[in-house]
Amino acid sequence: MGELDVLKKEAETLKTQIETARKAVNDTTMEAASSGVAPAPRIQPKARRTLKGHTAKIYALYWALDNKLMVSGSQDGKLLVWDTHAGILANCVPLKSAWVMTVSFSPSAGLVASGGLDNMCTIVNISGEKPKTMRELDGHDGYVACSRFLSETSILTASGDQTCGLWDLETGKQKQSFLNHVGDCMCVALAEDQNTFISGACDSQAKLWDIRDGQCKQSFIGHTGDINAISYMPNGQAFITGSDDCTLRMFDMRADQEVMCYQNAQPTAGVTSLSLSLSGRLLFAGYDDFNCNIWDSLKGEKIGVLSGHDNRVSCTGIPSDGMCVSTGSWDSFLKIWN
Amino acid sequence: MEELDLPQMQREVESLKLQLQTNREKSSVTVADLVKWIEEGVANDPFLNADLLRTNPWVEGGKCVLL
Repeated sequence: MGELDVLKKEAETLKTQIETARKAVNDTTMEAASSGVAPAPRIQPKARRTLKGHTAKIYALYWALDNKLMVSGSQDGKLLVWDTHAGILANCVPLKSAWVMTVSFSPSAGLVASGGLDNMCTIVNISGEKPKTMRELDGHDGYVACSRFLSETSILTASGDQTCGLWDLETGKQKQSFLNHVGDCMCVALAEDQNTFISGACDSQAKLWDIRDGQCKQSFIGHTGDINAISYMPNGQAFITGSDDCTLRMFDMRADQEVMCYQNAQPTAGVTSLSLSLSGRLLFAGYDDFNCNIWDSLKGEKIGVLSGHDNRVSCTGIPSDGMCVSTGSWDSFLKIWN
Repeated sequence: MEELDLPQMQREVESLKLQLQTNREKSSVTVADLVKWIEEGVANDPFLNADLLRTNPWVEGGKCVLL
């Protein structure tokens, strides 16, 4: 056997050992653990605002920490910053490349980041009179699918080149590269202490990473399709993923495995986006079939639907105070619900 | 998904060795902790506690609007 074959065999053996170790600690189910919990009530949030301004498909949205401002990105080539309370436009950032896939605010909301098919993450300062491009982070060999600020001077990216990157905004250089996925990286979420983060990719795996040393600490299997969305549970010890395989799954990081699967009776639409309510009890998931389903994360039952968009729901978001959920769609509108 | 080459495969094996070392806790403990955490948070969750939505920033409460 060649060296490559020896290594392949060793990898398979290690994977089997990991599965054995997982089975050894799997001594309950979410169903059993939440048997004493009353089901969440059926809810019917109303659309409180419809934000019209984009002229093409919306691909991404992000809430500022003030729980009022929200930024959206569309393939009309613009980032729009909304004062959602007043329901008006607060700022407009024209993009060099219209092919945007991700948007985010820095903690102060003075900076916005966008990324997409131009393989770059562009940082724009919106705190002045006019938006000013501050940095073009250039180094990925594939599209930038997701970007998340750690601070005003540091940002994390997920790319179609199968890597994630940590960037220093003062130098514009990549500080750390995260290599382990064997498919396009589609989404990331930062742990509260910023020592670790989780990523989801087109290899159907989610991974936990150490930000400082760049190592993959844990790999989570279960999905059978691209993972498009990922979000921590509020206790930081579990996370939820949404996938093209039409399911959402909850992974427990301490037990190192999947503990719950959320699937429609007739699963036909992929999950594009997800957001968790403040307690983590409710899971809002956007699908290809124009709807946003609301799931009871403990009982695994659908308890509501947000319908109103005329096309795919591509993004969702819940502000840090948990007071509403917003949805963005290929129909070019954003809606605010509670 | 392309096949990994030799250096990639070496890294993959090293990574799997590291991942195998993860300290795994019993799910009867971890899932119970998670359920407890969520249940404790429900009272502060605006979607599950109607009291918290009494002052709803997106619902006009008949206030005057500055023109």
